[in-house]
Amino acid sequence: MKSHNLLETIDPGWAWEPWQPTGTESWDAPRVAHLFRRAAFGASDRELQESTHSSLSGTLDRLLTPAEGAAKFLVSAEPLAAGALAANQPRGLAPWWLHLMLTSPAPVLEKMTLFWHGHFATGAEKVKSAQLLFDQNRLLRAHALGSVQQLVQGIARDPAMLVYLDSAVNRKAHPNENFARELMELFCLGEGNYSEKDVQELARCFTGWEVKRNQFRFNRYQHDDGLKRLLGAGDIESGQQAVDVVLRSPHAAQFIVGKLFRFFIADEPTPPARLLDPLAEQLLADNWQIAGVVRRLLGSRLMFSTAASARKVRSPIDWALNWMKACEMTTNLKKLGEELSELGQALFYPPNVKGWDGGRAWINSSTLVGRTNLVSRLLRDDSTRFAGGDWQSFFRQRQVVSIEDLIDWTELHLLARPLSTETRERLRSAMQGAGGVERLVDCLVLVSSLPEMQLA
Amino acid sequence: MSFIKDRRRFLQHTLVGGASLTTAAGAPHGWLHALAASAIDQDRILVVIQLTGGNDGLNTVVPYADDAYYRARPKLALAADSLWKLDDSFGLHPGLRPLETAVEQGRFAIVQGVGYPQPNRSHFESMDIWHTCQPKVERGGQGWLGRWLGSQRSAGSSSGEALALHLGHEPQPLALAGRDASVPSIASLRQFRLQLGDSSELKQQVARLAERSDEKTSARAGSSTDFPTESRTGLEIDRAADSEAGSEAGSELLDFVQSSSRTAVEASRRLESASADDPAGEFPSTSLGEKLHIVAQLIVGGLATRIYYVTLDGFDTHAQQPAAHSALLRQWSEAQSALLQVLRDRGHGDRVLVVTFSEFGRRVAENASLGTDHGAAAPLFLAGPPLKASVVGIQPSLTDLDDGDLRFHTDFRSVYATVIEKWFGTSSEAVLGKQFQTLDVLA
Repeated sequence: MKSHNLLETIDPGWAWEPWQPTGTESWDAPRVAHLFRRAAFGASDRELQESTHSSLSGTLDRLLTPAEGAAKFLVSAEPLAAGALAANQPRGLAPWWLHLMLTSPAPVLEKMTLFWHGHFATGAEKVKSAQLLFDQNRLLRAHALGSVQQLVQGIARDPAMLVYLDSAVNRKAHPNENFARELMELFCLGEGNYSEKDVQELARCFTGWEVKRNQFRFNRYQHDDGLKRLLGAGDIESGQQAVDVVLRSPHAAQFIVGKLFRFFIADEPTPPARLLDPLAEQLLADNWQIAGVVRRLLGSRLMFSTAASARKVRSPIDWALNWMKACEMTTNLKKLGEELSELGQALFYPPNVKGWDGGRAWINSSTLVGRTNLVSRLLRDDSTRFAGGDWQSFFRQRQVVSIEDLIDWTELHLLARPLSTETRERLRSAMQGAGGVERLVDCLVLVSSLPEMQLA
Repeated sequence: MSFIKDRRRFLQHTLVGGASLTTAAGAPHGWLHALAASAIDQDRILVVIQLTGGNDGLNTVVPYADDAYYRARPKLALAADSLWKLDDSFGLHPGLRPLETAVEQGRFAIVQGVGYPQPNRSHFESMDIWHTCQPKVERGGQGWLGRWLGSQRSAGSSSGEALALHLGHEPQPLALAGRDASVPSIASLRQFRLQLGDSSELKQQVARLAERSDEKTSARAGSSTDFPTESRTGLEIDRAADSEAGSEAGSELLDFVQSSSRTAVEASRRLESASADDPAGEFPSTSLGEKLHIVAQLIVGGLATRIYYVTLDGFDTHAQQPAAHSALLRQWSEAQSALLQVLRDRGHGDRVLVVTFSEFGRRVAENASLGTDHGAAAPLFLAGPPLKASVVGIQPSLTDLDDGDLRFHTDFRSVYATVIEKWFGTSSEAVLGKQFQTLDVLA
């Protein structure tokens, strides 16, 4: 690993200013596509066109402000989850959520819900209840762009989380430290920013927080109502007070914005604290309302700089959905959910309480081969439609008729940066070897195997 | 020796099945030659089984003669008469019965009281410590096996063969991370094959594209047109962050994906050939059973891979421990027993060492949820070749505790040193950072 950290040298004052068009940089389709890949799950042609004609700020308004039909949309999609809920099959919830990601009028909300799912990772293999995970998912969505404080308070009494981290059996006589530890280590502060004593004290605060008939219940007989000392603060009694104390730690806002940075801007390197400071300060000034910080990240100069472009390894969901949005595909989402699981991102089954590691951890031999197999399957599957029709007419309508056209189309819709002349040449020759544009699907499969394709 | 026969058969398979692809990709690459040339029956193999979550060592190797055990665990203690007693002082959890043959043959050993100073009770921190041998993990840190793999590579012993494989869906264990080695992960052999419809040219083109992305330096000539570019006029951004430094650092990620792509294509070919020789082993249809079945296929198939890494998750038994722990131990012992049996039958029994560890043991006292919380020292297990002892070290005291936990007496790095020096016959000091005492257990 190189010792030189590009991010060390960036002036935070510059980084978080809104990006503005200049003489040399305009609000053009490649920038729109970049924003949609990061803020959402990719863009269709129509979205690209509309946003290019609008401005960055106009586009962010549209992406972040709940569309009028957003609530209605969610209700209308609920039947897709009904079967999984009735049969208690948590895996069956994946198609429902993938449908929301692909078609929601508020895609940033879905992206942030996914962020929180990885942050407050809760796994169905232990919770075993589709209903509890569904309810948790709604909780995450309700606060995804709202108050972090309310979200943490909600998670602390969320039945799925209580089951997952054993706080549901947290008794006065034997406080269970699992949830207390992760609340500080993984959810709010980061390792090293609390002591073992804090873990024990925090566990006492949550004694008696139980799940009864799938609902949160406070059992005062099992609650240790003595006063506790936590992170230097005294006279704490309840779990609710304790959550607020944890969030008052000077490390909390830094920790949350650090994770947002990695999620939206770049997998690596780790940003220095001073680069995150302005965002952490804003989060506190906004009283833990996160929408302002998310908007600032997404519209920042840094987001549209080389410090961000091609600095993220696509997650399996980003991988599949970027392809689907670009080709305006509809397909069998149940099958897709299973394939995403093979690629290492099973919704409702994060690998552990730390969530998905992301970045380089997505990439290995089986997932690389699997990503290409997935694209091949999506393109060839009988259930797949391209803007309602077959791929032949989809590409014909877009005047993609030669290998050059196809590479250009790929570059705009799917690649973070233009290909080098050499790579372009290699790709061209491989496409010819695979049968040329007559076998357009094969050519797209080749594109999917390019290392450059793995980066967003 | 039957292995030689298997090996010859494997090479024949490979030559018949893989020749066209190999030449089609434009390079005979030499890995077949390297395979044939290496004195592979001397090459020893390590299989690491990681029990994730913190295995309760006390209920695995049970000190049933010690009253303190029953005092600490009024509800969870295993009754003496339910145990598989090894001697007058301790017995094994009944779920370990499938390992009876290995124990009888002197091919299974317990290393008692393994841990490290100032134990960390966070799963992730403690696992990182076991993986890296370092107290605090730096980003880009290397694992102990990754460092060892790197040292083998620089010794010129590799011809592009995957020296290590990780089997499973979970992210690759940090133990395998290394600057000079990109270790493939697989979840099943099927997943490893390109499934691209009916076009045979397509597979070749994918392979060719991956191989030729080698030429990375020239491939970045286009960096001046990087999108999106920063406008530097009037910006307070430091000079060092200009597009030159920017594209250079950004390419690290691309370099990583490129080298991973090459590894993927190479390994895919090899495994496709090796899987033609499936041992008819009786592997249980559990998650660990299936992983170890693949491991057996690859070892018997003659892959020159030296390290296989698998995990079994679920040992974080904070609540309702007995049933879950029993099922997990049974899964582990059944799968391991099947692996040992198949390898012995096929003549590989003496060249494969299986090491099973967990990131920590559990607290001596049970909690109120019929479970146990994160602890410290615990037993570790060796199996495979004939071993000098069936138990190494003593059971740590159940009354002289470190904040409620067992005190370790054997540093886990001593176990690693034993593997690196006594099993692989290489030096451990550079890999582990200093010289650790080895255990006298490998014959």
